[in-house]
Formats: sequence, C-alpha cells, structure tokens
Amino acid sequence: MKRRSFIAGTAAVGGAGCGRGEGPAPGYRVLTENEIRTLDAWCEALIPADDAPGASWAKVPRYIDIQLTRKFRRLLPRYREALAAMERWLAAAGVEGMAARLELMEQGKAPRELFADGGKDAFEMVLAHTLQGFYGSPRHGGNRDYVSWVLLGVAPVPVRGREQAETGKN
Amino acid sequence: MVVAGLVVLVGVLLAPAGSLLYESGGPEACANCHEMGRQVELWSGSAHQEVKCGACHGDALTMDARVHWTNARRVAEHWMGRIGEEPRLGEGQVLEMMSRCEGCHEQEFAAWQAGPHAATYERLFLDEKHNHTRHLMNDCLRCHGAHAEGAIGDVVAPLDTKGPWRLVREELRGQPAIPCMQCHAVHREGQVLGRKRLEAKMAGRQQETHRPGLGFYDRRSRAGVRAGLLRVPKMEDNGRVLRMSADGRQAVCYQCHAPLAGRQAGSGDDRTPKGVHEGLSCLACHEQHRGTTRASCATCHPRLSNCGRDVETMDTTFANAKSGHNVHWVACADCHAKGVPRRR
Repeated sequence: MKRRSFIAGTAAVGGAGCGRGEGPAPGYRVLTENEIRTLDAWCEALIPADDAPGASWAKVPRYIDIQLTRKFRRLLPRYREALAAMERWLAAAGVEGMAARLELMEQGKAPRELFADGGKDAFEMVLAHTLQGFYGSPRHGGNRDYVSWVLLGVAPVPVRGREQAETGKN
Repeated sequence: MVVAGLVVLVGVLLAPAGSLLYESGGPEACANCHEMGRQVELWSGSAHQEVKCGACHGDALTMDARVHWTNARRVAEHWMGRIGEEPRLGEGQVLEMMSRCEGCHEQEFAAWQAGPHAATYERLFLDEKHNHTRHLMNDCLRCHGAHAEGAIGDVVAPLDTKGPWRLVREELRGQPAIPCMQCHAVHREGQVLGRKRLEAKMAGRQQETHRPGLGFYDRRSRAGVRAGLLRVPKMEDNGRVLRMSADGRQAVCYQCHAPLAGRQAGSGDDRTPKGVHEGLSCLACHEQHRGTTRASCATCHPRLSNCGRDVETMDTTFANAKSGHNVHWVACADCHAKGVPRRR
C-alpha cells in the first residue's frame, strides 16, 4: 500500500468514526484531529513525498492551521466545510485514489451533493495554501527544516560578507 | 477601597496561581496553549528534554513579574479568541537565559566569557575607530546584537561617522552582543552528550564534526537555523578552488566570517585558510567557545619539530598586516625563501 493511500485511508476511517465538536488536535490551534488527518492526506496528495519529503512531512497542515487563527481566519468555515465534505467522500467511496479525486475537484466534477461547485473552489484554496506552506518561510509554520528551499538549492541563510568599505575620515 | 484592594490582591495572586496550575501538569501542559505545541514537540526530542520548562523559562515562584504578566496576557488573549504568534524569546529573555546556560555549562560559559565572542554592546557599537570609518547599518545586527529589538537606530545613535555615539538603551552597555543562542538552540533535536563529551573534543576518530544543537540565529525569521542546513561556501583563491574541510560545524562560522559574493578567500570577513593550512576546519585550531588558537598550534607543531621553530612564539595573527606567518594564509614560500624543497 502506498503511503499516500495509507494516509487517505486513516483519514477516511477516522472521519467516518467521529463527529465534530471536539477541541483542536494536540499541537494544533483550531483544526480537530479528524480535520488534520484529512487535510494532511489532501496536502500530501498535492505535494507527495518521493525521494524528498512531501507536504505532510513539511508540516503544511500546521501552517494552514496556524494561519486559520490569523490571516486566514475568515476562511475557517470554508475549511471546515471542505474538510467535512472530503471526509464524507473518503468514507463513502473507499480509501483509494485521493489524487484522482483531487483531479475531479480541479475540473469542478466532484459530486455536487458534497461540493456545490464541483469542488473547484475548495481545491484552489487548499492548493494555494499548500504551496504557500511548502515553499514559504518556516517561520510561518510550514516548510519544516527549509525542506523545499534545500530542494531548490536556496540557502536557508545565505553566506554574504560585507565590503569593508572605508568611508574616509570626516 | 477594601474591595479595590481585594481585586488587586486577587489579580496579583491569579497570575502565579495560573503558572502553578500549568506546571503541575508537566511540560505537556505548556502545550495546552496551542501556539506552544511546536516548541514543546521540539524540546521533547532535544538534548535538554530532562530540563523542565520552568528551569529556563521561570516558574510560578519566579519573582520576575514579566513572566507572570506574559502568561496572564496570553491567557487573556486566548479567552478573547486571539491566538498570537508562536512565542519567541525576546532580547531581555535571551540575555537572562545565559545565566541559566551557565548553571549547567560552567566550563563552556567561562571559556566563552574569556574569548572575543563575549564582546559587549559597548565594545562593538561604541568602537570609535570603527564608527569613524565604517557606516553603522542594520546588517551589523545580523551577527552583533542579533537578538536586539528594533533596528540599528534603536541600538546606537547617531548613525553617522562623526559621533559621539551612545547606546540608545543604556542597559545594553555591559550585555553580550553575541549570546549563547546566537550559535545554540536549546530546543533542537539531539542527545545528551554524556560520556562521549570528552572524546568528542579531542582529536581522533571520535572527534565531533557535527552537533544538532549548533546553528545560527537568523534575525529575519527570529529563529535558529541548524548547522546542517547552512552552507560552507566553495571558496576560491584567484580562480583556484580551495580544498575545504568536511567539518559541517564551520558553516556557522561562515555566517559571520563570510566572504564577498565572489567567494575569494580573504575577502570581506572571510578567513578561509589557504597555503599550508588549506583544508583545515575553523574548529581545528579555534577553541569552540574561547576562540583562541595559540594552544592548538602545538597539536601539529611540537617544539621539537624538524625545523626547530617554535610556532607558539610566532606572530600568526591576521590582524598584523606585517606578520609573515599569518596563520590563515602562510604558504611554504613564506618560510622557504630559497625555494620550497621537493616532496620526498
């Protein structure tokens, strides 16, 4: 079983078994354990691990969770709605094929009973934030250990000397 | 009046009581504040995992009112639904932490105190010779006073080359501008050194070339970047690529003792060894905390050497432009004036 499928599976099982209403997941600010599991699978499907870590390892869900208490505060209801819909979809349709589902969402062809617009809006939202969390500065909560910068060959802290310029006597 | 007094009394007692309540739950309780989660997670895998939060950050019995004020403020913010940024140590807290570092790392602390990296704000920012000839700028704070709050203008004034200069906050005068946390992160992953500690310091197979807790405090992100992620630049000497030591720890040194963009050895603040010492790590000669080098010469150059020279008495400093034995760049020809003997 692929890692991605495993994560999607655990998200589906967790999502099916528990209702909402519990507090934030340990170490997180607003999203519940189920929501984090689903979001983790979602982000990992967008930037999967290969020979380098993916979005899950880079703690992209943590970035989104933090920002949902700050800059993305107004997006929290949309996130809750999208994650709940994804949980239901995973629970109903089995554990395989998260990537295929996201492709449908990208085209706006997800089941209308789950996503009113076919999922395009939720897909774009999570994709944008996943990219931000993966490629942005770790100070915002994602990009753990500068993983994407190392991949791109960008030094976390550039070595830059200073010209010992003499200003002359004043 | 009595009611007001009671309200004040309750308020004063409530803050330490809150701290006490959290402490009773152990370090995990600190993670109840959701913004603390990452720090507690990091700490739990660090070399300091046996040191409880209160030992460094203050506990319910701490007399520092700021600790209780900060805790009370955060609780109030939570109640109001305002979850702040991840807590980071402020300038004052970083400086206060040093006495706590000293509590366990006495030798290292004493060595650091005796070395150049213990330079104070006064020494670095009120240096007349420097300030008359070079501009004070925000970039200075990358290595000196990196934890200082605000910009260079909030540390020293005026920002010109005429002076006279003064520290904007006089309380910084005697404080170290390169504190422990410039190069060390307390929460970073690692294991307690234990018995390996001595072996790690001595030349040999067990000698340390990597330490997880070592890093560089990046002022922009207000966080330490571990040494493993920092780069040792590929240095050159007039087009020739220099051989570099595999010691990853020196990546931290290069953050401040850095070359200019052309990566020429000796440019900017760089001191990359070339000549006979090419390929040596900074830490092969410089003692880690004191930074001194004199004693290290004897490691490779015993007094009864073939040439009979006592290197300990040579002027090997780069600071003296007339020194023929600048240890960073001394070449074979500097001693063998009549020609370098062929290698046998």
